Amino acid sequence: MEIPREAYQAIEDIVGKDNLTDDPALLDSYAFQWLAELVRPNRSHYMPRPWAVVMPITTEEVQAVTKVCNKYKIGIKPISTGWYHWAAPLKDDVPTLQFDMRRMNRIIEIDEKNRYAVVEAGVIVAQLQAEVMRRGLNVNIIGAGCSTSIVASACAYFGSGPSTYYMGHNSDNLLGQEWVAPSGEIVRAGSLSSDCGWFCGEGPGPSVRGVLRGHMGSRGGLGVFTKCAIKLAPWEGPPLLEPQGPPPAYRLPIHENFRVYTIGTPNWDAWADTYYEIYDNGIGYIFHRQFNLAGADLAAALWLTYLDPKGTMNDVEKATQDPAVQAITERARISFQLILQGRSRADIELQDKILDAILQKTGAFKVERFCEQDFAEFTNMYLQRLGHKHCNFIWVGGYMGSWMQGGTPDFAKQYAPIAIAGFYRDQKSHKLVECGGDALMGAGSTLTGGGYFGLEQFVSYDPADNDSIDACVKHMEDAIADCKQHNLPLGKEHHYLSIGWTDEEIWEGLAKMPQQFVLRFQSKIKEAFDPNSLGDRNYPTIPEGWAPSHR
Amino acid sequence: MALEDFRADALRCTRCTYCRWIPFDHVKSARFARGCPSIEYGKFHAYTAGGRYVTALSLMDGRSQVTDKVRDSVFQCNMCGLCDVSCKICRYDMEPLSAMRELRFTLVQQGHEVPQAKPVIEGLRKQHNMLRKPAAERGQWAADLRVKNLATEPAKYAFHAGCRYSFDGDLGHVARTSIRILQKAGLDVGILGARESCCGGRAFNMGYRDEMEARASQNLRAWRTAGIETVVTPCSDCYHAFKRIYPPETGVELKVVHMVELIAELVKNGRLRFSRSVPMRVTYHDPCKLGRQGEAYVPWNGKEKKIFGQAVAYDPPRPRYSGAFGVYELPRDVLRAIPGIELVEMERIREYAWCCGAGGGVYESYPEFAQMTANDRLEEAEATGADALVSACPWCERNFTDATAGNGSKLQVLDIVTLAGRALELEEEN
Repeated sequence: MEIPREAYQAIEDIVGKDNLTDDPALLDSYAFQWLAELVRPNRSHYMPRPWAVVMPITTEEVQAVTKVCNKYKIGIKPISTGWYHWAAPLKDDVPTLQFDMRRMNRIIEIDEKNRYAVVEAGVIVAQLQAEVMRRGLNVNIIGAGCSTSIVASACAYFGSGPSTYYMGHNSDNLLGQEWVAPSGEIVRAGSLSSDCGWFCGEGPGPSVRGVLRGHMGSRGGLGVFTKCAIKLAPWEGPPLLEPQGPPPAYRLPIHENFRVYTIGTPNWDAWADTYYEIYDNGIGYIFHRQFNLAGADLAAALWLTYLDPKGTMNDVEKATQDPAVQAITERARISFQLILQGRSRADIELQDKILDAILQKTGAFKVERFCEQDFAEFTNMYLQRLGHKHCNFIWVGGYMGSWMQGGTPDFAKQYAPIAIAGFYRDQKSHKLVECGGDALMGAGSTLTGGGYFGLEQFVSYDPADNDSIDACVKHMEDAIADCKQHNLPLGKEHHYLSIGWTDEEIWEGLAKMPQQFVLRFQSKIKEAFDPNSLGDRNYPTIPEGWAPSHR
Repeated sequence: MALEDFRADALRCTRCTYCRWIPFDHVKSARFARGCPSIEYGKFHAYTAGGRYVTALSLMDGRSQVTDKVRDSVFQCNMCGLCDVSCKICRYDMEPLSAMRELRFTLVQQGHEVPQAKPVIEGLRKQHNMLRKPAAERGQWAADLRVKNLATEPAKYAFHAGCRYSFDGDLGHVARTSIRILQKAGLDVGILGARESCCGGRAFNMGYRDEMEARASQNLRAWRTAGIETVVTPCSDCYHAFKRIYPPETGVELKVVHMVELIAELVKNGRLRFSRSVPMRVTYHDPCKLGRQGEAYVPWNGKEKKIFGQAVAYDPPRPRYSGAFGVYELPRDVLRAIPGIELVEMERIREYAWCCGAGGGVYESYPEFAQMTANDRLEEAEATGADALVSACPWCERNFTDATAGNGSKLQVLDIVTLAGRALELEEEN
């Protein structure tokens, strides 16, 4: 569909010519997205190219531009920091305006007393965390790390990470919300809807917070979230993080109110039991299985090399031959990282004693090398700021997460062996990084209240090699088959692959959902907030009158 | 290298956007978390290292053409290398700065030059300097100094003033003070005078590889003829050119030291002693070319290999320029050694310093962007409460000085040599 030039001019009149582009090369920098090659024809690294990219600076500009989109039937897709193929337009034949939110980058308010902050969509977590730490507060950082937009992760996506264990999931942390619906209406939700400020996530009537995000979020499919308030948590550390040493493994000295450990367990049962004990005893600030992203066979070699600023990948290879490193590899094979925060020296000492008692009870142990000062300080830095998440791509630039079904630790320990066996099997193609079958990484307590865990299999492939891309896709299909064979819900690989499916394929899948009322409910929401259907199918609905093929 | 050689890098870029920010571990405030001046000016993702990888791919694959906007997105970049540091926090297989430079070479070869750069490069070709001044006037800064002329007298050290110190009347005193310091320390130093040529480094970073090679050839020939052992320069751009560009491009590895390295060494070994107090609160700006880009050159001629099935390694191991080993501590040592000086740090320092704004041809081609970048740094420096912003590069100092004139800042902009000169009672006031 051809969009008349007057539409472009109308948008330019709103935001100014420097804040709008339709230059093909500039648009390609938005079409090029991580994971695209797994789902696009011919292993293309490009998602559909946006019709144009706009950079509004106020909510009112977003609204005005959205109204133009309604007038000319231009699709709407916001992107903040952008890290997933679904951040781009999804269809080649639907002209879509990409809203790049990075100019809306103000921290509007930090309410220290009531422990929340109000931010615009372009503010990243690292920025807010630095500001709130000065005030003795902290903010939950999602698993994708501190480079991500707070508004995006709180309003439009899943929202868990290593600190969720203590600070809560962003579905709970999200307080007041401001949203420009695809209709062009500005929706102010939560306490904001009663003109009572930003302090509460829920307002009069049904939960708009639930409408706009639910569990997984609409991932850009339901208009533009412009501002939100986010709940803050206590921080007993220094007001300023002052890392030491050269890159890449900056080290954060461990404050007297903190302890930083890597805990190993002899088996998956002990791993789950240790988690439950830690949670039940009310200790722990950050709980994460972080370093296993490199794969249990290679993690020790990689991270010990990473500590050396002169280290190279060749050194990782050498390290795997070192008997001392091999011993650490085995010691840390089923392990996780734990950071304790105390409110005083006495408090942290008590937590330490409790942890020691738990380890004795479950047979878990501290992985000695990883608890030495250099590695512990590196762990402290890594997990407190979560600024090394690009290490997800450290092996070769391609990473895809399979599995990651959320459930209790007992549930996660049941699927872990299946995920491990499947990944070992698929690595035999030699077209994936052979890091061991257990590259399961994940956050403890992905939802507030404990007892909820997710483990994501880190599959590394070479995006510059089509055979390797093919092997990754095959692994994704295998993982789906493994899940079906073991009566497990499907994992992240299913979400990723579905981005490349046709509408009919998507609807066929949705039609099998156990709770069909959800889709009917969402259809009504879409009708109300997106009457011209300008948002994309990241907000899933089934069109009225469509019937599954029963194939 | 050719642009095509960076295809795999580009395909392996994950659009993580780390290249926009300082390494996250060092973020101390929302205000100074930003690391890339280019995207702050150009706004769109194409104005990042990751975006330029995509631009390169898009052009190579014929998905798009070079328009004025594309050209600006490529050249409106200070080539400061912050993106390179931030990228390599997590990656061992990416060379974003080299890739961006190669993209510039390609555009220039194809005739997509920045119009504002053309007269500067024409001046370089004809007058062998970046300031479009007559070549014959190059040595005039030293006219009243008793210093050896390397054309007629041999010396152990060749002092290379560089274009900016040679021709910028406001800054020539730094070159003269440098000579006085070297002479006070008893070093055998000479200059090439009018036969000195631009290092070619700035032209190289602007996309003009041939022009750099021509300048390198002239300098190397002159030094060879003079029989010098070591080149010393107070200019960080020149330092970088001699240390990091000449070896791979010309095959010649020089012994090159920056003035600040030499002063630090001379103080340490007692050949210089700071005798006068210089009561002043200062903050130090790490020049990109001395700091994160100032790491030692390591020869490498190898190729990629796969380990563990698909992980990327190199045969032989590839040197890793991560910014970890730039020249950071020596300038600070010098400042701390000067009686009366109180050194206070800005938020963005060392390998994650914010650029002055003058690099990559931006000073010459996009003055508004250069000033925006400098103003950001001045604001950061002012937040420390310092009286002066001290650097070790004339391009930083020129750009900062211009910016203070424009924004009314009361910060003094000083070269570290000036402060050393004052403490040694040698400084020639401008």
